[in-house]
Amino acid sequence: MDSDTNDVLPLQELSLDEAITEVELEESYEEDEEDELEEYVTLGTIEKPKHPKFLLRHLFPSKTGGTPAWLDPVELPTGKFSRCDFCEEPLQFLLQIYAPIPEKESTFHRMLYVFICPSMSCLLQDQHEQWKRREEDPRRSIKVFRCQLPRLNAFYSSEPPRKDGNDKPLSVGAALCSWCGTWKGEKVCSGCKQARYCCEKHQAMHWKSGHKNRCHHIIHNLESISSSLPGEKLSRDKVACSSLWPEYEIAIEDECAYDAEASEDASYEASSLVTQHVTDDTYQFLLDKFEADDNKRSWASFQERISKCPSQVLRYSRDLMANPLWPLSIGRPTMTNIPKCKYCNGSLCYEFQIMPQILYYLGVKNDSDSLDWGTIVIYTCLASCEASARYKEEFIWVQLYPTTPIS
Amino acid sequence: MAERGAGDRGGFGRGFGRGRGDRGRGDRGRGGRRGGRRDEEEKWVPVTKLGRLVKEGKITSLEQIYLHSLPVKEHQIVDTLLGGRLKDEVMKIMPVQKQTRAGQRTRFKAFVVVGDSDGHVGLGVKCAKEVATAIRGAIILAKLSVVPVRRGFWGNKIGKPHTVPCKVTGKCGSVTVRLVPAPRGAGIVAARVPKKVLQFAGIEDVYTSSRGSTKTLGNFVKATFDCLMKTYGFLTPDLWLETRFSKSPFQEYTDLLAKPTKTILIENTERIEA
Repeated sequence: MDSDTNDVLPLQELSLDEAITEVELEESYEEDEEDELEEYVTLGTIEKPKHPKFLLRHLFPSKTGGTPAWLDPVELPTGKFSRCDFCEEPLQFLLQIYAPIPEKESTFHRMLYVFICPSMSCLLQDQHEQWKRREEDPRRSIKVFRCQLPRLNAFYSSEPPRKDGNDKPLSVGAALCSWCGTWKGEKVCSGCKQARYCCEKHQAMHWKSGHKNRCHHIIHNLESISSSLPGEKLSRDKVACSSLWPEYEIAIEDECAYDAEASEDASYEASSLVTQHVTDDTYQFLLDKFEADDNKRSWASFQERISKCPSQVLRYSRDLMANPLWPLSIGRPTMTNIPKCKYCNGSLCYEFQIMPQILYYLGVKNDSDSLDWGTIVIYTCLASCEASARYKEEFIWVQLYPTTPIS
Repeated sequence: MAERGAGDRGGFGRGFGRGRGDRGRGDRGRGGRRGGRRDEEEKWVPVTKLGRLVKEGKITSLEQIYLHSLPVKEHQIVDTLLGGRLKDEVMKIMPVQKQTRAGQRTRFKAFVVVGDSDGHVGLGVKCAKEVATAIRGAIILAKLSVVPVRRGFWGNKIGKPHTVPCKVTGKCGSVTVRLVPAPRGAGIVAARVPKKVLQFAGIEDVYTSSRGSTKTLGNFVKATFDCLMKTYGFLTPDLWLETRFSKSPFQEYTDLLAKPTKTILIENTERIEA
């Protein structure tokens, strides 16, 4: 029951100290309103792409599902970086966004990639690990990578793409796994020497699901899979794996554009819950019934905020003052939980968060082991440092909904 | 500071960047889509797993949610499951005031009762600066708080249940409300305020007795609501049989829907009483 816990009698003459506490509350409440107006948030919404070829890497797309469009196509993350630290399976691509920083030259092109292990049990274990300090080398089942390039680089022309269908990158990238199309295909099929894989498991799955029959043909007829050179296939053929999430483009919108329609009233449930001048037993009894009032308050504000644009899947706000929109009050990180940048030891700042609506669009099932989260928040290096690794790992925080009491 | 004009990046897309031009000046952007607000209201994108299950259609009735005590966090869930049968009524709009340095700040508190007159009732209270906002917020809160109401018989178990199964009492503030089973045809013998709530709940005959400052409508309504919540909490002899627990929809919804046997005890009792 979400109803109020106390009555405010109309035209009541408040005692002096009550008036003072109320005034104080009023002030802080007003400040909250101010903060909300100043925050500048960009939303990402799902859109079906006009054509799959618009999501190739030389067009710098922001997309979700399918396979990633690697910015630096050669030095991809490998080994430990590409696998879930709990189940050792390769991670699945969730989304990528194009977030350049115009002020610096080295970040003319900048992409952020998020990979997640599709198993919920790994995500539950990951919850414990994300609280650990960096020195203890926590194991994660969800990883985020940042890649940046200056305008003049070896992979793309310095001129903007014309988007007329004839654009091409400057060079061919590394070959990707024939099964998942996500990670580098370092191992080659010993039979046909054409199919490449990132790990044994994918080789086994591809073999079972049809490569067994085609391998033979490939050797003998050389009816190969398009290119004869070992390299990346630029055409958007379907990869063999069928469990990849459906591919969409992420469209960029400003949240303030929706403000005009939203009601101007910003009163939270909070204000009525917080003012307390009834302190008898019944109040306590009712209070006990509504456990975790803080959670309810956060949830109410969360719902109000997203109702402006219910189909948002991403909230972006790279600002030192910006705060992510948390659905719950438990499970939030404090300043000490957020580590320093792995490469330059500088501080991290909040950049963007992934909303749970994306699970609906990706068609994630609703079994007991399927993914579900409250929100996923990504913190990146404030200076967006350069380091020897092309794909730099950033910090990611997951807030899950509390598990139901009877399950 | 680099000019953020288009000339800086040429034709390269901006991506997710900071400050695209003026802040919050109602930049229409992709126009046309926001034309009808109605459009967005119809298209509900679920945020919780339960919401996704309901939207898919895997959960067909509120009882499945009640059985496993799953928290309902989105009011659209109740909308989808109860649909058009749900009616709402504003019980009272109360102006409340607060003393500030610059005079008094008046806000409006709305009490809304929703129900389908067939065993489900919800109560919502919301305070807001405008009446319309308060009513809208209260309706949403009421939908989130929908509870099942158990009905029973006064004497012979003929026909459908029409009254409360036993004497129940609820309390809020100083107001206590007591509901007593009544024979068919007695009607709802209650004051105007709880009568509304009981009508929404689907109770046809009942005797009531109240005590305390029933003038405070907020407490009176909450006390009645509390009373109705307790109807399913009362252990009667027909519930003495041990429950055989079934799997929650998060575990295996197919199991729940497929088995028509006695595993779900509450539904079984309703069948007996019906």
